[in-house]
Amino acid sequence: MGSRQDERPADSTGLASRPGPGERIARVLLAYWPLGPLVRRVARLRASVHTKLLGAFLLIALLLIVMGITGLESIARVARQSRLLDQARERVDAMRQIEHALGLQMNFMRNALALRDDASIESVFRENNRFNDTFDRLEDAAPTAQRETIRAIRRTQDQVMATVVRIAALIRDDKADEAMDLHLSEGYPLYREIATLVTKAVRAEEAGMGRIREGVEATYRRALLLTGGFAAASIVLALGLGFVISWSFILPVREAEGFLGEVAKGEFGRSIAVPNRDEFGALASQMNEMSRELHQLYDEQRRAAHQLRTLNAQLEQASRAKSDFLASMSHELRTPMNAILGFTEMIRDGLYGEMPPEIQEPVSDIHTCGKQLLGLINNVLDLSKIEAGHMELAPSEYVVEDVVNTVKLSLRALAASKGLELVTAVAPDLPLCLGDGKRITQCLMNLVGNALKFTAEGRVEIRVDQEGEHLRFAVADTGIGIPADQIEHIFEEFRQADATVTRDFGGTGLGLAITKKLVELHGGRIWVESEPGKGSTFFFTIPVRVIQEAPA
Amino acid sequence: MKTVLYVEDNEFNRKIVRQLLGRTSYRLIEAFDGEAGVTTARAERPDLIIMDIQLPRLSGLEATRQLKAAPETADVPIIVITSFALAGDEQKAREAGAAAYLAKPYSPRELLGMIRDLAPES
Repeated sequence: MGSRQDERPADSTGLASRPGPGERIARVLLAYWPLGPLVRRVARLRASVHTKLLGAFLLIALLLIVMGITGLESIARVARQSRLLDQARERVDAMRQIEHALGLQMNFMRNALALRDDASIESVFRENNRFNDTFDRLEDAAPTAQRETIRAIRRTQDQVMATVVRIAALIRDDKADEAMDLHLSEGYPLYREIATLVTKAVRAEEAGMGRIREGVEATYRRALLLTGGFAAASIVLALGLGFVISWSFILPVREAEGFLGEVAKGEFGRSIAVPNRDEFGALASQMNEMSRELHQLYDEQRRAAHQLRTLNAQLEQASRAKSDFLASMSHELRTPMNAILGFTEMIRDGLYGEMPPEIQEPVSDIHTCGKQLLGLINNVLDLSKIEAGHMELAPSEYVVEDVVNTVKLSLRALAASKGLELVTAVAPDLPLCLGDGKRITQCLMNLVGNALKFTAEGRVEIRVDQEGEHLRFAVADTGIGIPADQIEHIFEEFRQADATVTRDFGGTGLGLAITKKLVELHGGRIWVESEPGKGSTFFFTIPVRVIQEAPA
Repeated sequence: MKTVLYVEDNEFNRKIVRQLLGRTSYRLIEAFDGEAGVTTARAERPDLIIMDIQLPRLSGLEATRQLKAAPETADVPIIVITSFALAGDEQKAREAGAAAYLAKPYSPRELLGMIRDLAPES
């Protein structure tokens, strides 16, 4: 008990019986962290375990969903910026092509001026057409901020083309010097202007692209931060919620474990204190109820056991007193019986000389009555002994034939005096049996004695046969029989079928009760089949080999 | 002449044995309780002792045990008269050292036969 308490942690939050290393760390966290109060708060939440778990999982899932959405949004933004970047790059390409086409135009123009041929003039127009095609695409794709520059380029290009037409006309008219002058005074400056405008547009686009690249990088950084933040928050939340919720369950379980351990050891003094308002709380209050009930039961049982012990001691004392009384009673009754029967026997044996014929009969009567009284005393004492639990069998080996013959020899005279036939039918090949032969003889004697007593004419038959592990004795008579409503009482003490039976036939009605108890003491069974007016058959069984119970 | 000691507290039973042996050559001496039985046996050295199981002062069984333990009386045969009261009486009588036992009420004829067996008349 003491050592068990020493194992407990100093704080009173729990009563873990075998804390592992993980649990020890958790308990430190519970003590030095605001988690302890949080755990108790979660425990006190008026919600079922199922709801609490579901809530925690949903919270974590929500966080993960938000994280996913943010991620997706970042990806979409990056994709958009990439597209913008691609467009800008295309535009820059287009402008470079314009620059290139412009360069070619100027080249062809120089050729045309030098060579004065139509082919070079045609080339200038062709390049102009290409310039226009590229320009159309560029104009469509250009962002608003660029539109002004684009338009300016277009206007200048138109002026260039007007000048070129004029130069071409002068060349055809062979006015080369005029054409050269025109080119130098109008055409060339216009080309230069266009080149300057294109360079300006390209720079603007490149600056735009730089901004977009910065934007993409910023988006990446933001996405990384957001995702990382959400992931960290999810982990912290999952761990925190897991810890808080699991401990809000573990604490009451540990508490219950310690509590049940005490209850199991029979210590009912404490009641379990669980703050939970969920299934664990319900469980705890039921456990308290159970403990109270058990305590009450335990107390009652202890009281009952104490009473039982006292009663047992009293009974033992009473039993000893009864046993002592039986011993002295038996002696006190037999001592005068010894003198009565002894003197009678000696008179009849002629120890005091020849007996006058006229007192022969009264002496014989004294002897008969003395024997009857002795039988009665024996029956009463036997019954008392059985009831006091002092009747012990003395098992030894016996022969069934001997038992039957003893009974037959003892009662032959009585049968003959009533003119009854006494027959025996013992199955051949009965084994040597083990049991209290004297007591079995007494049983058979009682039954045959009764049969002879209640039979006026006819016969009494003793049959013995073996049925498995039992001997079956049957005593059949052709006597008055037993009415059906009396049969169940026939083996009770002091019972005969009718009070008048005692008057007519004598006897105390103890014989059958004693016989039943002796048979049962042997581990056998006794019963009767009877039909009033036709006779009765009493049966009893005795194990072939009686195994005696060890004395209590 | 053989001497028989009868230890019995009931006068009528002593009288039976007295009269039973009156016609024989046995000399009968009597004691009324267990203690007297042991002293008389030591003093008289009888040839046979008949001991009732229930006696005042010292029980028949205890007296038998004492006589069997003393070298001078160890060889004297003892008939223990039991009352057939409780199971195991005969067993106890045998264990105490009785040569024979007889349950009350005994037949005087049977007792005489037993006496003649254990201490034949000379």
